[in-house]
Amino acid sequence: MTAPLLQATGLSAGYGQAMVLRDVDIEVAPGQVAVVLGANGAGKTTLMRALAGLLPFSGELLVDGRAVRNSRPDKMVGHGVSLVPQGRGTMSALSVVDNLRAGAVSRRDKAVVEEDIERWFTTFPRLAERHAQPAGTLSGGEQQMLAIARALMSRPRLLLCDEISLGLAPRIVQELFETIAQINVEMGTALLLVEQNAALAMKIASYVYLLEVGEVVESGAARDFEQSESIRRVYLGY
Amino acid sequence: MDIFLTRLFAGMTAGSIYAMIALTLVIVFRSSATINFAQGEFALFTTYVSWWLTERGWNIWVTLIPAVVIGFVLCAAAERFLVRPVRRRDEAAVLIVGLALFTGLNGLSGTIWGSDDKVYPRLVPVSVDSFLEIAGARLFYDSLFVMGALVVVVGGLTLLMSRTNLGLQMRAVATNQESAGLCGIKVGRVFMISWGLAGAIGAVAAAILVPILPPGQLGLPGMFHMLIFGTVAAILGGLDSIKGAVVGGLSLGVGLAMINGYGSGLGGSISLTVALVVVVAVLGLRPSGLFGSKRLERV
Ligand SMILES: Nc1ncnc2c1ncn2[C@@H]1O[C@H](COP(=O)(O)OP(=O)(O)O)[C@@H](O)[C@H]1O
Ligand SMILES: [Mg+2]
Repeated sequence: MTAPLLQATGLSAGYGQAMVLRDVDIEVAPGQVAVVLGANGAGKTTLMRALAGLLPFSGELLVDGRAVRNSRPDKMVGHGVSLVPQGRGTMSALSVVDNLRAGAVSRRDKAVVEEDIERWFTTFPRLAERHAQPAGTLSGGEQQMLAIARALMSRPRLLLCDEISLGLAPRIVQELFETIAQINVEMGTALLLVEQNAALAMKIASYVYLLEVGEVVESGAARDFEQSESIRRVYLGY
Repeated sequence: MDIFLTRLFAGMTAGSIYAMIALTLVIVFRSSATINFAQGEFALFTTYVSWWLTERGWNIWVTLIPAVVIGFVLCAAAERFLVRPVRRRDEAAVLIVGLALFTGLNGLSGTIWGSDDKVYPRLVPVSVDSFLEIAGARLFYDSLFVMGALVVVVGGLTLLMSRTNLGLQMRAVATNQESAGLCGIKVGRVFMISWGLAGAIGAVAAAILVPILPPGQLGLPGMFHMLIFGTVAAILGGLDSIKGAVVGGLSLGVGLAMINGYGSGLGGSISLTVALVVVVAVLGLRPSGLFGSKRLERV
């Protein structure tokens, strides 16, 4: 068993007085694909925001075995953890290519940045066609592509994806999942996905966490979950 | 014709100054969504420093260097050590910090340099014949200089914004702070540098405007008026638009010059009244101003 890339132990977080996440344990190994399943309001977004440094938390968060405290998003990017937030969070007034350049500000190897932009333009040709357009004028699917490409511009070792399927046509969702699965295989980028579209996420995930009202109620290898009758019925709907 | 041109030139001169002040407000607002009401007082302080150095025999142009540096450092420090810790607790309290800075800086200038007006030298000396004659109207060299200064400041800012990594970070923060953070941008650092930049531009603007706008001398209440017109210009142009600050400043300057010139029966305080009408009209009809954002969103 390789040492985990990211390990959260007893993670709790919330908004003001209201605690949303209680005592959550989660870990992701290098190159692994894990998925967090849970109903609306279970606290999936809260978890992702805490991991990305957008939300204060209590408990222990280790990246490469080293403790991360008082986190900020830019620091987490520095640690190699990058978030595609729910609702995409593209910078609407910036052009597509400026969004991608902004995604790379933490990098020192500026010469390679333009190569990476070309690479994601090859992966998402529709972004290349619209490279000079303000991101705010893109369609929902295109914005999601941009959000993913932007998050990858920092060359993260772990990509957090918060419901990238939300509000998109099934064909586009299919495409996006194929793309991130391919990125995982080709670049070894670990993925932590949050999804309501469980069936799709289970296809590429090797490990599953079930989140209910802010707590991890079950976790295990995706293979075992496929075989668990009750879980199949509740979360996968077949 | 020549009287119209004369008024146009006067309006563009004042307008260029309003535009520069509006720019300082816009740069701060774009990053931290705050109107820094103390912006004028920072500039007042640096202009006193500049004056004090000229009294000690420094060339006025050379004194601009420490003035700009102090303007940058003071404003950046105010953001980092006063505004930011307060903002974390309470967004509304930031306004109070602005007011405290306003009175504090004014009081500090008064304590150090006294309340009597100072003669502050012009950056461009004038004599009776230092003007160009255009269609019978006089365009004074120092008017040209003010407009040129605006062109230089705007040109520099445009290059900074469009060509540099810092500019990209500033634009990213202006569009969406949270997303900028997720890109790895140190948002707090961008705030601090933006405030500093505004302080530096304010120092230049004040050094230019003090000798040429009434009362023509350096005094403690000197910046208050200018800040009002700068704020109106910024609101007119759209608080987060650099282009808006320039267009807003120039149209306000020219508009006021025309109204004051052709409507001389309207009384002395007509400028402030017009300015107030402009603010109310903008807020009522088009709250984002002429060039403010919130238009590109396709939610
Ligand atoms: N900004 C917020 N302020 C207060 N409560 C919030 C906020 N965001 C989410 N919540 C609450 O936290 C709970 C979990 O929300 P969230 O993490 O968004 O769930 P999920 O992503 O699983 O749908 C919900 O009960 C929600 O109402
Ligand atoms: Mg959510």
